[in-house]
Amino acid sequence: MNLKETDIKDFLRRYSVAMILLIMVISLSLFSWRFLRPANLINISLQTSIVAIVAIGMTFTILTGGIDLSVGSVMALCGALASGCIVRNGFPIYTAILLALIIGVGIGFLNGLLIVKGNIPPFVATLAVMAISRGLTLVYTQGRPISGMGDDFVYWGSGKIGVLPVPVIILFIIFLISYIILRHTRFGLHIYAIGGNEETARLAGINNDKSKIFVYMISSFTAALAGILLTARLWSAQPNAGVGLELEAIAATVLGGTSLMGGYGGTGGTVVGAFIMGVLANGLNLLEITADYQRVIKGIIFILAVMFDIYTKKEKKKG
Amino acid sequence: MKKSEKINGYGERFGLIIAFFIMIITISFLSDRFLTLPNILNILRQSSINGIIAVGMTMVILTAGIDLSVGSILGLTAVITADLLHSGIPVFLAILLGLLLGFCIGFVNGLLITKFKIPPFIATLGMMTLARGLAFTYTQGKPITGLNESFRVIGTGMIGSIPLPVIIAALVFFLGYLFLKRSRHGENIYALGNNETAAEFSGIPVKRYISLVYALSGFLSALAGMILIGRLDSAQPIIGQGYEFDAIAAVVVGGTSFTGGHGSVWGTLIGVLIIAVINNGLNLLDVSSFYEQVVKGVVIAIALLLHRLAQKKN
Repeated sequence: MNLKETDIKDFLRRYSVAMILLIMVISLSLFSWRFLRPANLINISLQTSIVAIVAIGMTFTILTGGIDLSVGSVMALCGALASGCIVRNGFPIYTAILLALIIGVGIGFLNGLLIVKGNIPPFVATLAVMAISRGLTLVYTQGRPISGMGDDFVYWGSGKIGVLPVPVIILFIIFLISYIILRHTRFGLHIYAIGGNEETARLAGINNDKSKIFVYMISSFTAALAGILLTARLWSAQPNAGVGLELEAIAATVLGGTSLMGGYGGTGGTVVGAFIMGVLANGLNLLEITADYQRVIKGIIFILAVMFDIYTKKEKKKG
Repeated sequence: MKKSEKINGYGERFGLIIAFFIMIITISFLSDRFLTLPNILNILRQSSINGIIAVGMTMVILTAGIDLSVGSILGLTAVITADLLHSGIPVFLAILLGLLLGFCIGFVNGLLITKFKIPPFIATLGMMTLARGLAFTYTQGKPITGLNESFRVIGTGMIGSIPLPVIIAALVFFLGYLFLKRSRHGENIYALGNNETAAEFSGIPVKRYISLVYALSGFLSALAGMILIGRLDSAQPIIGQGYEFDAIAAVVVGGTSFTGGHGSVWGTLIGVLIIAVINNGLNLLDVSSFYEQVVKGVVIAIALLLHRLAQKKN
């Protein structure tokens, strides 16, 4: 297998996901004239950006063959901490944001330690941390939303630069950074190597433990960031923010073609996957399909996407 | 080899039981209401629903799988059973159909996993969303209330002074034990959990067993759902949400290994009771319910770390 061949296959796979998105966009614009209006498109990208940011971090953990179920709770906790520090303790907003991000990264470090040093499967370790973080959020907020953070804070979720909402621009920056890390750094190479075969990676002299801890720190960082953006968009920190968001982030990652076994995929596909889900939700709304049916449809599409992913992988093996 | 494994298993469970008793003694010192008969029966009744689900979850995890859809299956079968009861068919038939539906949904999980090679985590995650959506679509988001009195016995009835749900749960645990430890099927399930390829080569119908395990998990979720709506006298489309978490927690605390092939329903029973006692203790001590999840998460993490430690020593 030479490099060119893998490049083409890689391109084809990502192309197929992008094709699905394109087909969806075309068919939806035929069904509803409102779909292609700029206001609606900007709305979709704003709604998608937060899931996409979380999903980029999730992609890092899944690439190593792991998973991070704690992202939704970390979002809520960090959003609440940032707002609480501003409203209750009168911190300057950037100090508060920085503090929340640091705590987010700290939780990721804890995830990583449990997985690497405690030798606990990622699924259960992050499940426990998910419960702990959600509980801490409830304790911190006393179950009530926190609001009144001021315009400077709200700008990060609701403001615009030109026509583009700030979260969309942040998504773009996060994506660029993730792309560079994964494709152009030694650390990125290590992530793929660990996901491909952990034992081989170890024998090749890669410090698996360190890389894996880093990966969970990245995931928690993007979750914390998304939590702050969500809080800023909603003008308030909700104690139940981000419930179930880990599932959406995993779905976006898998839809984007990253293998749950690790070692294959990338954040570009993940962003496309997040947009597929965003466009789908928006389209179902425009077609006036109720939220109940939307769940059913999302569940079916999720399963179909994974089947498609597994099917194409089989083809690749045969080829 | 096998003997030392067995001893190791006893050692682990012994440690768990000691931890459980220390908890009980501590809480009974802190609250004089804890060790009263009504409270103990209350704990048992509250844990019966999680217990029934956790038995199915134990079997699934023994095959190195996971079932995230239990809460949604519970919700969907509950609203459909309630609706069947309203339609006036015999209670017995409604229960049977509800249980059958749970079994079938679980079986679909099994098919997705064995035939289409979808990882259990993802397949049951999809089913979780799907079944919950169907429950909401079916009821249009409204609860179904006012259930048949003779049906409600399943959740509210008593035999002597023991609540019927507790007896059902005890029966489920006992049957689960017989199935896993006293039958050929159980042996095969442990074998395939230990090493799927080896089990396949030795002629065990691996795929059939995996499908069966998920079907049983769905069946037990449906059973738990009936007890729940019998007690509440109302079937809401949202019920059972998050129950997968408690069931997984009980199994994990009870020492069943996530990599499959190691663990038992007795461990799970202790896990279920530990979680129920924690909840009850926090309530009695007037700790804000906000702390509940923090405590649960910490307990799971500690239990996992202790198991790893015990394994490393051996």
